Amino acid sequence: MTPEIERLKQQFGKSVYGERAETGRLTSVSVAPEVLPAAAEFMARVLEMRFLFLAGFDERKSGGGFRLRYAFAHPREDRFLALAVQAGETEASFPSVVSLYPQANWQEREIQDLFGLKPSGHPDPRRLVLHEDWPAGQYPLRKDFPNGVKVPRRQGDYPFERVEGAGVFEIPVGPVHAGVIEPGHFRFSSAGESILKLEIRLFYTHKGIEKLGEGKSPREILCLAERVSGDNSVSHAAACAQALEALSGTTVPERALRLRVILLELERLYNHVADISGVVLDVAFSFGAAQLAAVKERLLRLNERLTGQRLLRSMIVPGGVHKDFAAGALDHLLRETEAIKKDFEQIVHIIWNSSSFLDRVEETGIIRREIAEALGGTGPAARASGVDRDLRRDHPYGVYSQLFFMVPVFAEGDVESRLKVRIQEIYESFKLIHEVAAGLAPGPCLAVPRPLAPMAHALGGVESPRGECFHWLSTDREGKISRWKIQSPSFANWPLIEYAVLENIVPDFPVINKSLNLSYSGNDR
Amino acid sequence: MNLAGSLLQGLVLLAVAPASGWFIKKMKAASQNRRGPSLVQAYADLGKLFRKNMVISDQASWIFHAMPIVLFCSTVIAAWMIPAIGAEPLFGFLGDLVVFVYFLALGKFFLALAALDTGTTFGGMGSSREMTLGSLAEPAFLLTLFALAYRTQTLSLSGMASRLSAEAPLDGLYFMVPAFGAMLIVAIAESGRIPVDNPSTHLELTMIHEAMVLEYSGPYLALIEWAHQIKQLIFLTLLANFFIPSPALSVASPAAALLAVLIFAAKVLSLALLVGWIEIHCAKLRLFRVPDLLGVAYALAILSMLGQLMMGSWQ
Repeated sequence: MTPEIERLKQQFGKSVYGERAETGRLTSVSVAPEVLPAAAEFMARVLEMRFLFLAGFDERKSGGGFRLRYAFAHPREDRFLALAVQAGETEASFPSVVSLYPQANWQEREIQDLFGLKPSGHPDPRRLVLHEDWPAGQYPLRKDFPNGVKVPRRQGDYPFERVEGAGVFEIPVGPVHAGVIEPGHFRFSSAGESILKLEIRLFYTHKGIEKLGEGKSPREILCLAERVSGDNSVSHAAACAQALEALSGTTVPERALRLRVILLELERLYNHVADISGVVLDVAFSFGAAQLAAVKERLLRLNERLTGQRLLRSMIVPGGVHKDFAAGALDHLLRETEAIKKDFEQIVHIIWNSSSFLDRVEETGIIRREIAEALGGTGPAARASGVDRDLRRDHPYGVYSQLFFMVPVFAEGDVESRLKVRIQEIYESFKLIHEVAAGLAPGPCLAVPRPLAPMAHALGGVESPRGECFHWLSTDREGKISRWKIQSPSFANWPLIEYAVLENIVPDFPVINKSLNLSYSGNDR
Repeated sequence: MNLAGSLLQGLVLLAVAPASGWFIKKMKAASQNRRGPSLVQAYADLGKLFRKNMVISDQASWIFHAMPIVLFCSTVIAAWMIPAIGAEPLFGFLGDLVVFVYFLALGKFFLALAALDTGTTFGGMGSSREMTLGSLAEPAFLLTLFALAYRTQTLSLSGMASRLSAEAPLDGLYFMVPAFGAMLIVAIAESGRIPVDNPSTHLELTMIHEAMVLEYSGPYLALIEWAHQIKQLIFLTLLANFFIPSPALSVASPAAALLAVLIFAAKVLSLALLVGWIEIHCAKLRLFRVPDLLGVAYALAILSMLGQLMMGSWQ
């Protein structure tokens, strides 16, 4: 029994029961629904546990009814704790914790849409994932909802929050945009050019990946995981593989772990370079943007040379890495990254000497630290606002615990800080790649796959380029995947943008949006 | 001959307008290690638009249909009012500089009106921005022209150009440099270039000129684009003929005309080079900083005017 559970039991007595050591670093304990808000508050205020995400489970078949699991991370130690709560099947509701954890807002509404469980006391129970055209009474993540059926659509209107006053008007943007990007609707209420309120409406491309994964084999799940968010393929695959390996009790060979770190850092490199390039382009500094785009292309070609795939897909498999790097590939990697780093340094130098560029990014789109923390912001966006958090350091996976690297944190929370975090992380990634490649000993890179343990839960977490990315996998009696919850960093970070744009002007929205560079696909799943 | 020369001069401006835009594009491409489009592309784009069908909102009123024609005609008339290659402007007369400024403003007025006409979000946003910036650019532009008119003691654009080019370059340097700065800023703002507006963005929320023409397609769009390119060339031509000294040009004989065309091309290209250079080295300004920039233009225009009023009297 972990000390946290002991403290919980002391505090709440018989309302806390049934603790279970799940796989890996995860422990779970059941809590009675009526003490959930108090227990959650106790976890946050007294135990200083950090709330990560909330997942719903339909365990009616095994007689468990609907269950919710609240994942928490230990602040100092490398442990995770899940609070399991039974949701009433008859009234189908659960107590809302939004007033305590604002970041649970979307999480609870997602469960409301997909499981049909009402978060009682939720301040904003509008629909989120399934829009108004989805008929009532159809809940896709319930086990009795057959996958692959076409649901007839109906008429419905979404009530936007209105701002009223003299000279206030609304600017509806999207869901289809002029650029080749995914759909999302942005509703600005503005007076002149100043933004008074922004309301975002996403989930136009909900793909039902979590449902699709149920009953699939580990290889198939990983294939799906790589497609959750195209440019974060490696991160999602690595997080999902961690959960799968925890479920099957597989020990991944050292070489495979090291190769995974190289892949993860290569992914971070091309993502961060592309993000910086995007911001520079959005303020119309086309020279810098074009040079950075060239660097990104060079990184993608390096990826292709190493793995045969520009986005590094199909490399991570359960138990290790699909194939080892070809002979000479490592030397090429070291030479090429060295050259790319020099190029990148020069370009950054030019860009940061342009006062017109700096004027655009300084003090634009400020996210205050309290906002970032309350809404569960993650990744570079949170680190730019002074939230010192990085899964690679705080809950190390792979071989990160053996590596030395810095986690850049800035306090201002503006577009410039978000760029600076990425620039520093790029340098750290170059360093990490060199360190890992230097310590790479020959050996196997794939363990023999083992069957998944039945009736078990596992949590995998990776610090993706956008932030913390968690995959929760549960198995049924036969050891098949019965539930797959994906907590993508974009799902955590999208709500931040509504705050980042306040006190800014409409034409600065694109650059603020770009500086957060959130994935629609990773969010919608 | 004179009339033919005047007619031809305007037609040359119409014809080479797409090329001046292309030149800046090509420069930018070179700065990005790209090849950029060929010269033919600039004309092929217009040709393609002229051949295409139009999609027009059923909410559009007569203003929507009238705007491209009004804009194009007013810009073409303005093109025929300025001294370009050496012939007398077709519509030149004493006092034409005020009429010239307001022919350009007429096009702008209709452009902003038509953007509001279909009631789309971005159109209204674009016209509100265009009018805000236009109301700041216009006084700076007028005042610069008045400063130059005071210096040359004439209110005709061609008279100003010929007297300025006849002037010894160093004599008026003190007044000419601020006037040049003012007019260059106005030129950049009016032709919708970086750092004021980004002609190549797809981000509607940041657009000014492009936001106003989002609803247009086909031949209407071709007319608007062409008018915009002509307007840009008009500003480059004015800058070239007012501020870059050159020998007196004429179109009296074919040989002289050829020389005049070459000199004109060299002057305009060197200015396009300057505009392109600024565009490469600058990010776009925050929208609320643009009025500051136009304020600088206005201050420079005042400086030029005041300088002449105070010091010019001793000469």
